[in-house]
Amino acid sequence: MKRVLYPYLRLVSSIQYWMQRRFTKAGLLVLTGLVASAVLGLDTTRTMAYQVFTFLFCLLMVSLAFSLSFRARLAVERILPQFGTVGQPLSYRIRVHNRDHRALRGLTLLEDLIDPRPSREEFVRTPEPGEERRNRFDRAVGYPRWRWLISRNRTAVIEEHALPSIPAQGLGEVLAGCVPSRRGQVRFAGVTVARPDPFGLFKGFVSVPLPQNVLIIPKRYVLPQIQLPGTRRYQHGGVALASSVGDSDEFVSLREYRPGDPLRHIHWKSWARVGKPIVKEHQSEFFVRHALILDTFQEAEHSDVFEEAVSVAASFACTVRTQESLLDLMFVGPEAYCETVGRGLGRTDTLLKVLACVRPCTNRPFESLHHLIIERSASLSGCICIFLSWDDARQNLIKNLHVLDIPTLVLIITEADMPLALAPGPMTATTQGFHRLEVGKIQEGLANL
Amino acid sequence: MSAPPLLLGAALLFWGWQTELFLAGAVAALLLEAGRLISWRFAFSHDDLKRVWSVCTILFLGMAGYLALTTNVQGATRAVLTMFQWYPLAVLPMIAAQLYSTAGTIDLSTLFLTVRRKDTTPGLRPARTIDLSYPYFALCLLSASASYVWGPWFYIGLCLLLAWPLWVVRSKTFSPLLWAGVLASVAVLGYVGHLGVHNLQRSLERNLIAWFAGLSGDRVDPYQTHTAIGSIGTVKLSDRIVLRLDSGGRDQTSLLLREASYNRYYDAMWFARDPSFQAVPSEPDGTTWTVRSGPASGRSVTVYAHLKGGRGILALPNSVVQIEELAVGSMKQNRLGAVHVEEGPGLITYGIRSGGDASRDSPPGARDLSIPEAEAPVIARIAADLGLRSQPPREILRTVAGFFQTDFQYSTFQADASVKRTALSEFLLRSRAGHCEYFATATVLLLRAAGIPARYAIGYSVQEFSDLEDLYVVRARHAHSWALVYVDGAWQNFDTTPVSWVQIEQEAAPWWERLYDVWSWGAFRFSKWRWSEREGGLSTYVGWLLIPLFVILAWRLYFVKRVARAGPEEQRHSVLCPLAGEDSEFRLIEQRLQELGVSRHPWEPLSRWVERLEVSQPWMGAADSLQRILRLHYRYRFDPNGLSLAERESLRVRVQEWLERLDHRPASHESGQVTL
Repeated sequence: MKRVLYPYLRLVSSIQYWMQRRFTKAGLLVLTGLVASAVLGLDTTRTMAYQVFTFLFCLLMVSLAFSLSFRARLAVERILPQFGTVGQPLSYRIRVHNRDHRALRGLTLLEDLIDPRPSREEFVRTPEPGEERRNRFDRAVGYPRWRWLISRNRTAVIEEHALPSIPAQGLGEVLAGCVPSRRGQVRFAGVTVARPDPFGLFKGFVSVPLPQNVLIIPKRYVLPQIQLPGTRRYQHGGVALASSVGDSDEFVSLREYRPGDPLRHIHWKSWARVGKPIVKEHQSEFFVRHALILDTFQEAEHSDVFEEAVSVAASFACTVRTQESLLDLMFVGPEAYCETVGRGLGRTDTLLKVLACVRPCTNRPFESLHHLIIERSASLSGCICIFLSWDDARQNLIKNLHVLDIPTLVLIITEADMPLALAPGPMTATTQGFHRLEVGKIQEGLANL
Repeated sequence: MSAPPLLLGAALLFWGWQTELFLAGAVAALLLEAGRLISWRFAFSHDDLKRVWSVCTILFLGMAGYLALTTNVQGATRAVLTMFQWYPLAVLPMIAAQLYSTAGTIDLSTLFLTVRRKDTTPGLRPARTIDLSYPYFALCLLSASASYVWGPWFYIGLCLLLAWPLWVVRSKTFSPLLWAGVLASVAVLGYVGHLGVHNLQRSLERNLIAWFAGLSGDRVDPYQTHTAIGSIGTVKLSDRIVLRLDSGGRDQTSLLLREASYNRYYDAMWFARDPSFQAVPSEPDGTTWTVRSGPASGRSVTVYAHLKGGRGILALPNSVVQIEELAVGSMKQNRLGAVHVEEGPGLITYGIRSGGDASRDSPPGARDLSIPEAEAPVIARIAADLGLRSQPPREILRTVAGFFQTDFQYSTFQADASVKRTALSEFLLRSRAGHCEYFATATVLLLRAAGIPARYAIGYSVQEFSDLEDLYVVRARHAHSWALVYVDGAWQNFDTTPVSWVQIEQEAAPWWERLYDVWSWGAFRFSKWRWSEREGGLSTYVGWLLIPLFVILAWRLYFVKRVARAGPEEQRHSVLCPLAGEDSEFRLIEQRLQELGVSRHPWEPLSRWVERLEVSQPWMGAADSLQRILRLHYRYRFDPNGLSLAERESLRVRVQEWLERLDHRPASHESGQVTL
């Protein structure tokens, strides 16, 4: 049935989109009045509503005619930041060059985003979270699912912005912005400049293609100062991995200070002698290396639990001090990934970029992540595990890590309405490293770490 | 965006004027516009507004219930329109709540259950609010348009009222002169347009009313009727009871109840040419309708009939003058005596007052003497055989009646006819047997050939008295047709169908007819109770049911907390209810430390923050430590018993002292502050 209804839902969405962009709020009210008066005024010998209908109809027709007369030669430039963050205002500038010989006044600017409507296959195969609780009609027709897929694909909703008056051959600039609602990419297709008709009901458009993208990184929570578990481990090939050579007690040489070097390595005497900061280099063999393990294994294509898990992972990626240690972000997507940052090797924003695009893994077992972690366990000082559930497979992983003497901090993200407390299982001995974070109360849960 | 001052008031006055509820409109306008003069506002909570909306819903349902119960007077369509006219009154509590609220807008989740379901998790979704003033303005105009006050003033008022908000939301790109010019053009176009629409409907009504009548399920079409003349086989009609008639007991004289008459015959069909329906005004009581002028006798009969869709043709005797206690919205009568009613209940009851021999039909014309060419030779031949032309009118009637009574038989069966002659000619010349349509049609044409104006009438013959119901019952098989003849200056019934037809039809009744009659009688009693109950006491008291609704509304409004609004700044504070202990002096310490760069983390409780400070800055813990002050602050803030006056003063003094000590702390301590 969904396959049959798909073109109609596309059509309905197109009409809604067209109406929302073309009509002003006053115009929508007039349109509603037009429909109501048409119904009410069917019999012209019973009501006077047909007079309302004809007046409103003429009003809208004249507005429509005015919108067709709008012409303008414009060049548009959009100056975007590199990143935006979910839930944080994203501001950017748009410059509009008026190439006409007449000034433009009273205009508004709308962003054209890539069509967020799902494909037929996506619509048929992607259930909405909690869809099983909907009534039979909604499940059969799939309109709530359709709405949800559109909102999911639409990373941000950008409001209409008023343009300042632009003189002939002049330049106008507007500070546009939005609050991204989801991580991923905001994909711009172009910019539309609109002019309402004299009654302020219907808008005429001039569109300029301007494809651009901006990456939206996940929402991040404030973490308390946490002491990550674990001790320093021997790092095979550690010299190649670090900007400074190491910090074992065996002194190797002196060299010039580089940003990121610990202050306690500064050799003050040499600084005094040379006049610029000099640091001591030590034999590189041991340093701290943490794994940030993100569980991506779930059956649904989307869930709030997964999104919160990504946000928690992003929070750790930003908070863990990587000047003196390494942080490996491990997860499984289409394949197993391990992204390492710290000690000058990579920057935190690399992790955030990765996390902005991570998707649930629906076609592989949890064991694939298990293998990835165990392979690298020899060099790990500790693990921060962010799990979507607390089943046997995940508990087995923790057991194995404990056998390998790798301390762990386990965070289980759960739905808000999950009533039962989770049994710590293998974390019974170290319950201070076992936490359950409920969707909607993540910040409160993290504050108790 | 809220509506400009006085716009809502003007719209309500206009609405009251158009719907003849001017007093209600004026009071509502005063209520809404007075809010701009009065400074006090109610701090409605979300739940309060939901209750107000519930009151609006109950009001609306109360109105709908009231109109449904009294729908036998107004008719269904009129009831719906009336409900729509009253709708601004139902929504009035909500718009008043908005205008008198401190927020000035309404949360969408208050109005729509679907939005309410989506917003169950507080804080995750910003509240979506709506200003109801413009939608309410539109509602007032639409409700005003639901009435029908013919004349130009509605359109003039509509244009002026719509121009007002259009001026407010106009695009500043265009000059006001252009705006005014374009709006004037729109007004002219709208005027021409609505005249065109109105004329179009009238034209459609004129040309397609028959089609509409068929669509609405009317059994009788006042414009044409198909006869079964020429049909082969047996004509069989249903035994369903369609009418009941109370004449005060068993009366031996049979009665013909006519529904419609026709003046032109062509190919087994009778047509009504130029019938032109005219409205029949009701008497001041709204239920008495005079269909013909002249003296009326006392009530002769009372008729009970079902109206499909609230509209239909009445079955009336020829001499009817007045119809009493008929609760319908409107009545129309055509020149040929068909009476069409609309907006009636499912079961109508009407009394009939008759008088004299005159009928309600128009005087005869040329059409009442016309004979179709196909039938003319046979009709002329028989008329000549009977010598009708040379006889006086009364004698002609006797001759024709005798002709059909002696030489013809009643039969519902027709065998295959000759293809050379018409069905009517076959009946007159060969078969000499047929049902009532043959007799009526042949009679009409023969009388016309004899120079007597005649018409074809259809309706029912009242002949069966039900001992079960103590009423005459009229079944579908009692449908009958006969001739109307214009004799002695009046239209009179002239039925030439052999009287045996009653017996023949009766014999065709099925064996289960008695059972059906019992069921039908039960259904009739129920319908009669159902509709007569509305006319009795219940509808009188329905209005009183609304009083508790208003009491609930008043109670809800009275107990909502009222807050003063002196100015915008104070209003902002009043929206947030002050918390207990909000004025604690400890806030000064927090603020001062924040200025020094020692801020508290968002997730950090005050106690933990103070612990951290006292560890890192031991001088803070000396003498009167922050912990003690904090304990007092916590008690002031959360202890249900609060602080005594002495303790309250102590809190104030200790905070002052602590702040003074902070300002005069040793320089050695000062240097380390920013590192906290």
